[in-house]
Amino acid sequence: MPDYVIEGEGITVRYGDFTAVDRIDIAVERGEIYGFLGPNGAGKTTTVRALTTMSRPTEGVIRIGGRAISEEPERARSMIGVVQQHIALDKDISVRENIICRALLHKIPKRDIGPRMEELCGAIGLVPYMEKTVSELSGGWKRKAAIVCALMHMPEILFLDEPTAGLDTQSRHMLWDMIRIMNRRGTTVFITTHYMDEAEALCDRVSIIGSGRIMDTGTPRELCARLGKYAVEYDGGGGIREYRFFDSREEARAFYDSVEGMNATIRGTHLEDVFLEETGRTNMRVCEEALRLRCPFSMTP
Amino acid sequence: MSLLDDTMRVAMSDLYYMRRNAWVLIATSLVTPLLYFVAFGLGLGGAGVEMEGYGYVAFMIPGVVALTTLTSSFTTIANKLMIQKRFYESFDELMLCPISKSSIILGKAVLGVVKGSLCGLLLTVLGHFLSGDMQISVWLILMVIFSTFVFSMLGVAAGMIVKDLPRMNAFNSFVILPMTFLCGTMFSLRAMPDAVRYVIEALPLTHATECIRALALGTEFPWPSLLAMVLFGVAFYLIAQYALRRSN
Repeated sequence: MPDYVIEGEGITVRYGDFTAVDRIDIAVERGEIYGFLGPNGAGKTTTVRALTTMSRPTEGVIRIGGRAISEEPERARSMIGVVQQHIALDKDISVRENIICRALLHKIPKRDIGPRMEELCGAIGLVPYMEKTVSELSGGWKRKAAIVCALMHMPEILFLDEPTAGLDTQSRHMLWDMIRIMNRRGTTVFITTHYMDEAEALCDRVSIIGSGRIMDTGTPRELCARLGKYAVEYDGGGGIREYRFFDSREEARAFYDSVEGMNATIRGTHLEDVFLEETGRTNMRVCEEALRLRCPFSMTP
Repeated sequence: MSLLDDTMRVAMSDLYYMRRNAWVLIATSLVTPLLYFVAFGLGLGGAGVEMEGYGYVAFMIPGVVALTTLTSSFTTIANKLMIQKRFYESFDELMLCPISKSSIILGKAVLGVVKGSLCGLLLTVLGHFLSGDMQISVWLILMVIFSTFVFSMLGVAAGMIVKDLPRMNAFNSFVILPMTFLCGTMFSLRAMPDAVRYVIEALPLTHATECIRALALGTEFPWPSLLAMVLFGVAFYLIAQYALRRSN
Protein backbone atom coordinates (compact mmCIF):
# COMPACT_ATOMS: atom_id res chain seq x y z
CA MET A 1 0.00 0.00 0.00
CA PRO A 2 1.68 3.27 -1.12
CA ASP A 3 2.29 5.88 1.57
CA TYR A 4 1.03 9.06 -0.08
CA VAL A 5 1.98 12.31 1.69
CA ILE A 6 0.37 14.58 -0.91
CA GLU A 7 -3.00 13.63 -2.35
CA GLY A 8 -5.33 15.69 -4.48
CA GLU A 9 -8.64 14.49 -5.88
CA GLY A 10 -10.54 16.47 -8.49
CA ILE A 11 -8.70 19.73 -7.78
CA THR A 12 -10.38 22.51 -9.73
CA VAL A 13 -9.54 26.20 -9.60
CA ARG A 14 -11.72 28.69 -11.45
CA TYR A 15 -11.37 32.45 -11.76
CA GLY A 16 -14.76 33.59 -13.00
CA ASP A 17 -15.34 31.83 -16.33
CA PHE A 18 -11.69 30.79 -16.68
CA THR A 19 -10.75 27.33 -15.42
CA ALA A 20 -7.05 27.42 -14.48
CA VAL A 21 -6.95 23.87 -13.08
CA ASP A 22 -9.48 21.30 -14.22
CA ARG A 23 -10.27 18.25 -12.04
CA ILE A 24 -6.74 17.02 -11.57
CA ASP A 25 -5.68 14.12 -9.34
CA ILE A 26 -2.26 14.01 -7.70
CA ALA A 27 -0.65 11.39 -5.49
CA VAL A 28 2.93 11.79 -4.25
CA GLU A 29 4.62 9.04 -2.26
CA ARG A 30 6.69 9.71 0.82
CA GLY A 31 10.37 10.20 -0.03
CA GLU A 32 10.04 10.70 -3.77
CA ILE A 33 10.95 13.66 -5.95
CA TYR A 34 7.83 14.38 -7.94
CA GLY A 35 7.98 16.63 -10.97
CA PHE A 36 5.03 18.71 -12.12
CA LEU A 37 5.79 19.73 -15.67
CA GLY A 38 3.95 22.14 -17.86
CA PRO A 39 4.38 25.10 -20.20
CA ASN A 40 3.87 28.66 -19.03
CA GLY A 41 0.26 29.25 -18.00
CA ALA A 42 -0.55 25.54 -17.74
CA GLY A 43 -1.69 25.78 -14.12
CA LYS A 44 1.46 24.68 -12.22
CA THR A 45 1.68 27.58 -9.81
CA THR A 46 -2.09 27.64 -9.29
CA THR A 47 -1.94 23.97 -8.32
CA VAL A 48 0.99 24.59 -5.95
CA ARG A 49 -0.87 27.46 -4.30
CA ALA A 50 -3.85 25.17 -3.72
CA LEU A 51 -1.71 22.31 -2.41
CA THR A 52 0.13 24.60 0.00
CA THR A 53 -2.98 26.25 1.52
CA MET A 54 -2.20 29.61 -0.09
CA SER A 55 -5.48 29.54 -2.00
CA ARG A 56 -8.61 27.45 -1.76
CA PRO A 57 -9.54 25.29 -4.75
CA THR A 58 -13.00 25.83 -6.18
CA GLU A 59 -13.60 22.07 -5.99
CA GLY A 60 -11.74 18.99 -4.86
CA VAL A 61 -10.07 17.54 -1.81
CA ILE A 62 -6.41 17.95 -0.88
CA ARG A 63 -4.73 15.88 1.80
CA ILE A 64 -1.28 16.46 3.26
CA GLY A 65 -0.03 13.64 5.46
CA GLY A 66 -3.39 11.91 5.13
CA ARG A 67 -5.52 14.79 6.52
CA ALA A 68 -7.64 17.25 4.53
CA ILE A 69 -5.97 20.67 4.49
CA SER A 70 -9.35 22.41 4.45
CA GLU A 71 -9.97 20.99 7.93
CA GLU A 72 -6.45 21.25 9.36
CA PRO A 73 -4.57 23.95 7.45
CA GLU A 74 -2.17 24.73 10.32
CA ARG A 75 -1.11 21.10 10.56
CA ALA A 76 -0.49 21.02 6.81
CA ARG A 77 1.56 24.23 7.03
CA SER A 78 3.76 22.74 9.73
CA MET A 79 4.50 19.77 7.44
CA ILE A 80 5.40 21.70 4.30
CA GLY A 81 8.09 24.10 3.20
CA VAL A 82 7.46 26.24 0.14
CA VAL A 83 9.89 28.01 -2.17
CA GLN A 84 7.80 30.17 -4.43
CA GLN A 85 8.55 31.01 -8.04
CA HIS A 86 9.45 34.56 -7.07
CA ILE A 87 12.01 34.92 -4.28
CA ALA A 88 9.76 35.84 -1.39
CA LEU A 89 12.35 37.25 0.99
CA ASP A 90 12.60 40.70 2.52
CA LYS A 91 15.25 42.20 0.27
CA ASP A 92 16.38 44.96 2.62
CA ILE A 93 17.35 42.83 5.60
CA SER A 94 20.19 40.30 5.75
CA VAL A 95 20.08 36.61 4.87
CA ARG A 96 20.61 35.75 8.56
CA GLU A 97 17.74 38.03 9.61
CA ASN A 98 15.44 36.54 6.97
CA ILE A 99 16.20 33.02 8.15
CA ILE A 100 15.70 33.92 11.83
CA CYS A 101 12.38 35.62 11.04
CA ARG A 102 11.11 32.62 9.11
CA ALA A 103 12.17 30.28 11.94
CA LEU A 104 10.36 32.47 14.48
CA LEU A 105 7.21 32.44 12.36
CA HIS A 106 7.33 28.65 12.37
CA LYS A 107 7.68 28.77 16.18
CA ILE A 108 11.01 27.00 16.29
CA PRO A 109 12.45 27.26 19.83
CA LYS A 110 14.96 30.13 19.92
CA ARG A 111 17.77 27.88 21.19
CA ASP A 112 17.39 25.63 18.11
CA ILE A 113 17.47 28.40 15.51
CA GLY A 114 21.23 29.08 15.56
CA PRO A 115 22.44 25.47 15.26
CA ARG A 116 19.86 24.59 12.60
CA MET A 117 20.70 27.69 10.57
CA GLU A 118 24.44 26.97 10.77
CA GLU A 119 23.89 23.36 9.70
CA LEU A 120 21.70 24.14 6.70
CA CYS A 121 23.76 27.12 5.53
CA GLY A 122 26.98 25.17 6.01
CA ALA A 123 25.64 22.30 3.91
CA ILE A 124 25.02 24.55 0.92
CA GLY A 125 27.83 27.07 1.33
CA LEU A 126 25.66 30.03 2.28
CA VAL A 127 27.70 30.97 5.36
CA PRO A 128 29.86 33.70 3.69
CA TYR A 129 26.71 35.50 2.54
CA MET A 130 24.82 35.53 5.85
CA GLU A 131 25.38 39.20 6.69
CA LYS A 132 24.63 40.50 3.18
CA THR A 133 21.21 41.95 2.47
CA VAL A 134 19.21 39.80 0.08
CA SER A 135 19.26 42.53 -2.54
CA GLU A 136 23.07 42.19 -2.70
CA LEU A 137 22.96 38.50 -3.68
CA SER A 138 22.89 36.92 -7.14
CA GLY A 139 19.83 34.93 -8.23
CA GLY A 140 21.29 31.55 -7.28
CA TRP A 141 22.22 32.58 -3.76
CA LYS A 142 18.87 34.28 -3.26
CA ARG A 143 17.19 31.03 -4.24
CA LYS A 144 19.40 29.08 -1.85
CA ALA A 145 18.57 31.48 0.96
CA ALA A 146 14.87 31.00 0.17
CA ILE A 147 15.31 27.22 0.31
CA VAL A 148 17.06 27.43 3.69
CA CYS A 149 14.18 29.57 4.97
CA ALA A 150 11.72 26.95 3.76
CA LEU A 151 13.66 24.15 5.45
CA MET A 152 14.20 25.75 8.86
CA HIS A 153 11.17 24.06 10.42
CA MET A 154 12.31 20.70 9.01
CA PRO A 155 9.27 20.10 6.81
CA GLU A 156 8.49 16.58 5.61
CA ILE A 157 7.53 17.96 2.21
CA LEU A 158 9.28 20.65 0.19
CA PHE A 159 7.42 22.43 -2.61
CA LEU A 160 9.68 24.11 -5.17
CA ASP A 161 7.93 26.21 -7.78
CA GLU A 162 10.28 26.61 -10.76
CA PRO A 163 13.33 26.83 -8.50
CA THR A 164 15.87 27.26 -11.27
CA ALA A 165 14.01 29.70 -13.52
CA GLY A 166 16.44 32.33 -14.74
CA LEU A 167 19.54 30.78 -13.13
CA ASP A 168 22.83 30.06 -14.86
CA THR A 169 24.00 26.48 -15.41
CA GLN A 170 26.30 26.38 -12.37
CA SER A 171 23.60 27.66 -10.06
CA ARG A 172 21.10 25.17 -11.48
CA HIS A 173 23.45 22.26 -10.81
CA MET A 174 24.20 23.53 -7.31
CA LEU A 175 20.49 23.63 -6.59
CA TRP A 176 19.95 20.17 -8.02
CA ASP A 177 22.63 18.83 -5.67
CA MET A 178 20.97 20.59 -2.78
CA ILE A 179 17.57 19.10 -3.66
CA ARG A 180 19.11 15.61 -3.84
CA ILE A 181 20.76 16.13 -0.43
CA MET A 182 17.44 17.17 1.11
CA ASN A 183 15.68 14.23 -0.51
CA ARG A 184 18.28 11.76 0.83
CA ARG A 185 17.63 13.18 4.28
CA GLY A 186 14.02 12.06 3.89
CA THR A 187 12.29 15.16 2.52
CA THR A 188 9.62 14.52 -0.11
CA VAL A 189 10.08 17.03 -2.93
CA PHE A 190 7.33 18.39 -5.18
CA ILE A 191 8.96 20.42 -7.94
CA THR A 192 7.38 22.33 -10.81
CA THR A 193 9.46 23.09 -13.84
CA HIS A 194 9.34 23.55 -17.57
CA TYR A 195 12.95 22.42 -17.96
CA MET A 196 12.87 18.81 -19.07
CA ASP A 197 16.56 18.16 -18.34
CA GLU A 198 15.85 19.20 -14.77
CA ALA A 199 12.95 16.76 -14.50
CA GLU A 200 15.01 13.94 -16.02
CA ALA A 201 17.95 14.65 -13.72
CA LEU A 202 15.95 14.90 -10.51
CA CYS A 203 12.51 13.33 -10.58
CA ASP A 204 11.44 9.83 -9.66
CA ARG A 205 8.02 10.45 -11.20
CA VAL A 206 6.50 13.26 -13.20
CA SER A 207 3.09 14.49 -14.26
CA ILE A 208 2.62 16.63 -17.33
CA ILE A 209 -0.02 19.35 -17.12
CA GLY A 210 -1.37 21.30 -20.07
CA SER A 211 -4.25 23.77 -20.14
CA GLY A 212 -5.11 22.92 -16.56
CA ARG A 213 -5.35 19.14 -17.07
CA ILE A 214 -2.99 16.28 -16.28
CA MET A 215 -1.93 14.75 -19.60
CA ASP A 216 0.24 11.90 -18.34
CA THR A 217 1.97 10.54 -15.23
CA GLY A 218 4.83 8.09 -14.74
CA THR A 219 8.58 7.78 -14.37
CA PRO A 220 10.52 9.66 -17.05
CA ARG A 221 11.56 6.30 -18.51
CA GLU A 222 7.95 5.01 -18.59
CA LEU A 223 6.73 8.14 -20.34
CA CYS A 224 9.47 7.89 -22.97
CA ALA A 225 8.72 4.19 -23.48
CA ARG A 226 5.01 4.92 -23.92
CA LEU A 227 5.77 7.36 -26.70
CA GLY A 228 8.38 5.07 -28.27
CA LYS A 229 11.97 4.47 -27.18
CA TYR A 230 13.45 5.72 -30.44
CA ALA A 231 12.92 9.04 -32.17
CA VAL A 232 13.60 10.01 -35.76
CA GLU A 233 13.63 13.71 -36.50
CA TYR A 234 13.90 15.15 -39.99
CA ASP A 235 13.17 18.32 -41.95
CA GLY A 236 9.53 18.48 -43.01
CA GLY A 237 8.10 21.04 -45.36
CA GLY A 238 8.49 24.77 -44.77
CA GLY A 239 11.50 24.51 -42.47
CA ILE A 240 9.57 22.72 -39.75
CA ARG A 241 11.30 19.86 -37.97
CA GLU A 242 9.19 16.66 -37.88
CA TYR A 243 9.37 13.84 -35.32
CA ARG A 244 8.35 10.17 -35.41
CA PHE A 245 8.64 7.71 -32.53
CA PHE A 246 9.15 3.93 -32.62
CA ASP A 247 9.20 1.10 -30.09
CA SER A 248 12.10 -0.77 -31.70
CA ARG A 249 15.37 0.29 -33.18
CA GLU A 250 14.57 -1.70 -36.36
CA GLU A 251 11.37 0.23 -37.03
CA ALA A 252 13.16 3.51 -36.37
CA ARG A 253 16.00 2.48 -38.69
CA ALA A 254 13.58 1.56 -41.48
CA PHE A 255 11.85 4.93 -41.25
CA TYR A 256 15.17 6.74 -41.00
CA ASP A 257 16.25 5.10 -44.28
CA SER A 258 13.09 6.42 -45.95
CA VAL A 259 13.84 10.04 -44.95
CA GLU A 260 17.62 9.90 -45.09
CA GLY A 261 17.96 12.76 -47.52
CA MET A 262 15.99 15.09 -45.25
CA ASN A 263 18.65 15.89 -42.63
CA ALA A 264 17.36 12.98 -40.55
CA THR A 265 18.67 11.93 -37.13
CA ILE A 266 17.93 8.82 -35.11
CA ARG A 267 18.22 9.01 -31.31
CA GLY A 268 16.70 7.90 -28.03
CA THR A 269 13.44 9.55 -26.99
CA HIS A 270 13.79 12.31 -24.38
CA LEU A 271 11.31 13.54 -21.80
CA GLU A 272 11.25 16.76 -23.82
CA ASP A 273 9.74 14.80 -26.73
CA VAL A 274 7.04 13.44 -24.45
CA PHE A 275 6.37 16.92 -23.07
CA LEU A 276 6.07 18.46 -26.52
CA GLU A 277 3.86 15.65 -27.83
CA GLU A 278 1.58 15.97 -24.81
CA THR A 279 1.38 19.75 -24.58
CA GLY A 280 1.77 20.65 -28.24
CA ARG A 281 4.90 21.55 -30.18
CA THR A 282 3.85 25.17 -30.33
CA ASN A 283 2.60 27.12 -27.39
CA MET A 284 -0.62 28.47 -28.89
CA ARG A 285 -0.75 31.34 -26.44
CA VAL A 286 2.69 32.52 -27.61
CA CYS A 287 1.57 32.16 -31.25
CA GLU A 288 -1.59 34.13 -30.61
CA GLU A 289 0.43 36.86 -28.95
CA ALA A 290 2.91 36.89 -31.85
CA LEU A 291 0.03 37.22 -34.29
CA ARG A 292 -1.50 40.01 -32.26
CA LEU A 293 1.80 41.87 -32.30
CA ARG A 294 2.29 40.99 -36.03
CA CYS A 295 5.68 39.47 -35.33
CA PRO A 296 7.53 38.54 -38.54
CA PHE A 297 8.31 35.06 -37.13
CA SER A 298 4.68 34.25 -36.30
CA MET A 299 4.03 30.56 -37.03
CA THR A 300 0.35 31.13 -37.66
CA PRO A 301 -0.35 31.92 -41.32
CA MET B 1 0.28 35.67 25.76
CA SER B 2 0.27 33.62 22.60
CA LEU B 3 -1.23 36.51 20.63
CA LEU B 4 1.44 38.90 21.91
CA ASP B 5 4.21 36.38 21.30
CA ASP B 6 3.02 35.67 17.75
CA THR B 7 2.59 39.40 17.10
CA MET B 8 6.24 39.99 17.94
CA ARG B 9 7.30 37.06 15.73
CA VAL B 10 5.49 38.72 12.80
CA ALA B 11 7.02 42.09 13.66
CA MET B 12 10.62 40.85 13.78
CA SER B 13 11.49 41.36 10.10
CA ASP B 14 10.15 44.92 10.22
CA LEU B 15 12.05 45.61 13.43
CA TYR B 16 15.27 44.35 11.83
CA TYR B 17 14.54 46.74 8.97
CA MET B 18 13.98 49.56 11.49
CA ARG B 19 17.23 48.77 13.29
CA ARG B 20 19.18 48.88 10.04
CA ASN B 21 17.63 52.16 8.92
CA ALA B 22 16.62 53.85 12.20
CA TRP B 23 18.32 57.21 11.69
CA VAL B 24 17.19 57.62 8.12
CA LEU B 25 13.60 56.62 8.90
CA ILE B 26 13.30 58.91 11.93
CA ALA B 27 15.12 61.86 10.35
CA THR B 28 12.96 61.78 7.22
CA SER B 29 9.79 61.60 9.33
CA LEU B 30 10.87 64.65 11.33
CA VAL B 31 11.56 66.94 8.37
CA THR B 32 7.95 67.95 7.69
CA PRO B 33 6.93 68.56 11.33
CA LEU B 34 10.10 70.54 11.95
CA LEU B 35 9.31 72.67 8.91
CA TYR B 36 5.83 73.27 10.37
CA PHE B 37 7.48 74.29 13.65
CA VAL B 38 9.70 76.78 11.88
CA ALA B 39 7.30 78.10 9.24
CA PHE B 40 4.07 78.30 11.23
CA GLY B 41 5.50 78.38 14.75
CA LEU B 42 8.04 81.12 14.24
CA GLY B 43 6.07 82.86 11.49
CA LEU B 44 2.63 83.07 13.14
CA GLY B 45 3.83 82.58 16.73
CA GLY B 46 6.41 85.32 16.31
CA ALA B 47 3.66 87.65 15.08
CA GLY B 48 1.85 87.23 18.40
CA VAL B 49 -1.06 85.18 17.02
CA GLU B 50 -3.18 83.45 19.67
CA MET B 51 -5.53 80.50 19.27
CA GLU B 52 -8.16 79.27 21.73
CA GLY B 53 -6.51 81.37 24.42
CA TYR B 54 -2.98 80.02 23.94
CA GLY B 55 0.08 81.36 22.21
CA TYR B 56 0.19 79.93 18.68
CA VAL B 57 3.32 77.83 19.30
CA ALA B 58 1.75 76.16 22.36
CA PHE B 59 -1.46 75.53 20.37
CA MET B 60 0.29 74.22 17.30
CA ILE B 61 2.90 71.86 18.78
CA PRO B 62 0.43 69.21 20.09
CA GLY B 63 -1.30 69.37 16.71
CA VAL B 64 1.96 68.71 14.90
CA VAL B 65 2.72 65.84 17.30
CA ALA B 66 -0.71 64.33 16.51
CA LEU B 67 -0.10 64.90 12.81
CA THR B 68 3.26 63.13 13.06
CA THR B 69 1.69 60.10 14.75
CA LEU B 70 -0.51 59.84 11.65
CA THR B 71 2.03 60.46 8.92
CA SER B 72 4.97 58.50 10.31
CA SER B 73 2.86 55.48 11.31
CA PHE B 74 0.48 55.31 8.39
CA THR B 75 2.99 55.98 5.63
CA THR B 76 5.53 53.52 6.98
CA ILE B 77 3.05 50.69 7.38
CA ALA B 78 1.03 51.21 4.22
CA ASN B 79 4.13 51.54 2.01
CA LYS B 80 5.96 48.62 3.64
CA LEU B 81 2.94 46.37 3.28
CA MET B 82 2.50 47.43 -0.31
CA ILE B 83 6.15 46.59 -1.04
CA GLN B 84 5.97 43.26 0.79
CA LYS B 85 2.75 42.30 -1.00
CA ARG B 86 3.33 43.61 -4.50
CA PHE B 87 7.08 43.80 -5.05
CA TYR B 88 8.88 41.44 -2.64
CA GLU B 89 5.84 39.15 -2.43
CA SER B 90 7.16 38.14 0.98
CA PHE B 91 3.75 38.70 2.56
CA ASP B 92 2.56 35.38 1.08
CA GLU B 93 5.08 33.59 3.27
CA LEU B 94 3.21 34.76 6.37
CA MET B 95 0.16 32.90 5.12
CA LEU B 96 2.22 29.71 5.05
CA CYS B 97 3.15 29.94 8.72
CA PRO B 98 1.13 28.66 11.67
CA ILE B 99 0.30 32.20 12.80
CA SER B 100 -3.19 33.61 13.36
CA LYS B 101 -4.53 36.41 11.17
CA SER B 102 -4.92 38.62 14.25
CA SER B 103 -1.21 38.25 14.98
CA ILE B 104 -0.35 39.09 11.37
CA ILE B 105 -2.41 42.30 11.51
CA LEU B 106 -1.11 43.38 14.90
CA GLY B 107 2.45 42.35 14.03
CA LYS B 108 2.41 44.41 10.89
CA ALA B 109 1.33 47.45 12.93
CA VAL B 110 4.29 47.24 15.32
CA LEU B 111 6.78 49.03 13.05
CA GLY B 112 4.39 51.97 12.75
CA VAL B 113 3.89 52.13 16.50
CA VAL B 114 7.65 52.06 17.17
CA LYS B 115 8.57 54.59 14.52
CA GLY B 116 5.56 56.85 15.10
CA SER B 117 6.09 56.83 18.87
CA LEU B 118 9.79 57.68 18.57
CA CYS B 119 9.03 60.58 16.23
CA GLY B 120 6.02 61.77 18.23
CA LEU B 121 7.89 61.67 21.54
CA LEU B 122 10.96 63.43 20.12
CA LEU B 123 8.69 66.23 18.91
CA THR B 124 6.90 66.31 22.27
CA VAL B 125 10.22 66.84 24.08
CA LEU B 126 11.27 69.44 21.53
CA GLY B 127 7.89 71.17 21.88
CA HIS B 128 8.27 71.24 25.65
CA PHE B 129 11.44 73.31 25.28
CA LEU B 130 9.96 75.55 22.57
CA SER B 131 6.79 76.34 24.51
CA GLY B 132 6.63 76.85 28.25
CA ASP B 133 2.90 75.98 28.27
CA MET B 134 3.36 72.38 27.14
CA GLN B 135 3.50 69.70 29.83
CA ILE B 136 4.90 66.21 29.46
CA SER B 137 3.14 63.46 31.42
CA VAL B 138 2.85 59.68 31.36
CA TRP B 139 -0.70 60.09 30.02
CA LEU B 140 0.52 62.25 27.16
CA ILE B 141 3.18 59.66 26.28
CA LEU B 142 0.59 56.87 26.40
CA MET B 143 -1.80 58.91 24.26
CA VAL B 144 0.89 59.48 21.63
CA ILE B 145 1.62 55.74 21.55
CA PHE B 146 -2.10 54.88 21.37
CA SER B 147 -2.54 57.35 18.54
CA THR B 148 0.29 55.72 16.56
CA PHE B 149 -1.39 52.36 17.14
CA VAL B 150 -4.71 53.57 15.68
CA PHE B 151 -3.00 55.09 12.64
CA SER B 152 -0.84 52.01 12.17
CA MET B 153 -4.03 49.96 12.04
CA LEU B 154 -5.28 52.37 9.37
CA GLY B 155 -2.00 51.70 7.52
CA VAL B 156 -2.48 47.93 7.77
CA ALA B 157 -6.09 48.19 6.56
CA ALA B 158 -5.06 50.40 3.62
CA GLY B 159 -2.07 48.15 2.80
CA MET B 160 -4.38 45.12 2.71
CA ILE B 161 -7.11 46.72 0.63
CA VAL B 162 -5.36 49.04 -1.79
CA LYS B 163 -4.26 47.08 -4.85
CA ASP B 164 -1.32 49.03 -6.25
CA LEU B 165 0.97 52.02 -5.85
CA PRO B 166 -1.07 54.54 -7.91
CA ARG B 167 -4.15 53.78 -5.79
CA MET B 168 -2.09 54.10 -2.62
CA ASN B 169 -0.90 57.50 -3.81
CA ALA B 170 -4.53 58.40 -4.49
CA PHE B 171 -5.48 57.30 -0.96
CA ASN B 172 -2.72 59.52 0.39
CA SER B 173 -3.87 62.48 -1.69
CA PHE B 174 -7.61 62.15 -1.05
CA VAL B 175 -7.65 60.92 2.55
CA ILE B 176 -4.37 61.45 4.41
CA LEU B 177 -3.31 64.84 3.03
CA PRO B 178 -6.68 66.56 3.65
CA MET B 179 -6.68 65.15 7.20
CA THR B 180 -3.28 66.71 7.92
CA PHE B 181 -4.59 70.19 7.16
CA LEU B 182 -8.24 69.99 8.20
CA CYS B 183 -8.25 68.19 11.54
CA GLY B 184 -7.43 71.10 13.81
CA THR B 185 -3.72 70.34 13.92
CA MET B 186 -2.52 73.86 13.13
CA PHE B 187 -5.72 75.90 13.16
CA SER B 188 -8.71 76.00 15.47
CA LEU B 189 -11.85 74.25 14.24
CA ARG B 190 -14.03 76.85 15.95
CA ALA B 191 -13.69 79.18 12.98
CA MET B 192 -14.99 76.53 10.58
CA PRO B 193 -18.62 76.53 9.36
CA ASP B 194 -20.77 73.95 11.19
CA ALA B 195 -21.24 71.69 8.16
CA VAL B 196 -17.50 71.48 7.54
CA ARG B 197 -16.81 70.92 11.23
CA TYR B 198 -19.17 67.92 11.35
CA VAL B 199 -17.27 66.31 8.50
CA ILE B 200 -13.93 67.04 10.13
CA GLU B 201 -15.10 65.57 13.42
CA ALA B 202 -15.74 62.28 11.65
CA LEU B 203 -12.01 61.98 10.95
CA PRO B 204 -9.69 60.17 13.39
CA LEU B 205 -6.91 62.78 13.37
CA THR B 206 -9.32 65.37 14.80
CA HIS B 207 -9.82 63.22 17.89
CA ALA B 208 -6.13 62.37 18.22
CA THR B 209 -5.35 66.09 18.10
CA GLU B 210 -8.03 66.90 20.70
CA CYS B 211 -6.72 64.25 23.12
CA ILE B 212 -3.02 65.10 22.70
CA ARG B 213 -3.65 68.85 22.92
CA ALA B 214 -5.74 68.48 26.09
CA LEU B 215 -3.04 66.41 27.81
CA ALA B 216 -0.22 68.69 26.62
CA LEU B 217 -1.92 71.92 27.68
CA GLY B 218 -3.60 70.54 30.79
CA THR B 219 -7.18 71.27 29.74
CA GLU B 220 -10.22 69.05 30.32
CA PHE B 221 -9.69 65.66 28.70
CA PRO B 222 -12.12 64.94 25.80
CA TRP B 223 -13.31 61.45 26.74
CA PRO B 224 -15.67 61.20 23.73
CA SER B 225 -12.65 61.74 21.47
CA LEU B 226 -10.78 58.93 23.19
CA LEU B 227 -13.81 56.68 22.70
CA ALA B 228 -13.90 57.71 19.03
CA MET B 229 -10.22 56.77 18.72
CA VAL B 230 -10.89 53.34 20.24
CA LEU B 231 -13.77 52.80 17.81
CA PHE B 232 -11.63 53.89 14.86
CA GLY B 233 -8.90 51.44 15.98
CA VAL B 234 -11.39 48.57 16.20
CA ALA B 235 -12.93 49.49 12.83
CA PHE B 236 -9.53 49.59 11.10
CA TYR B 237 -8.60 46.24 12.66
CA LEU B 238 -11.87 44.64 11.45
CA ILE B 239 -11.38 46.03 7.94
CA ALA B 240 -7.85 44.56 7.86
CA GLN B 241 -9.21 41.20 9.09
CA TYR B 242 -11.85 41.19 6.36
CA ALA B 243 -9.32 42.10 3.66
CA LEU B 244 -6.89 39.43 4.82
CA ARG B 245 -9.54 36.72 4.85
CA ARG B 246 -10.72 37.79 1.42
CA SER B 247 -7.22 37.75 -0.03
CA ASN B 248 -6.78 34.12 1.07
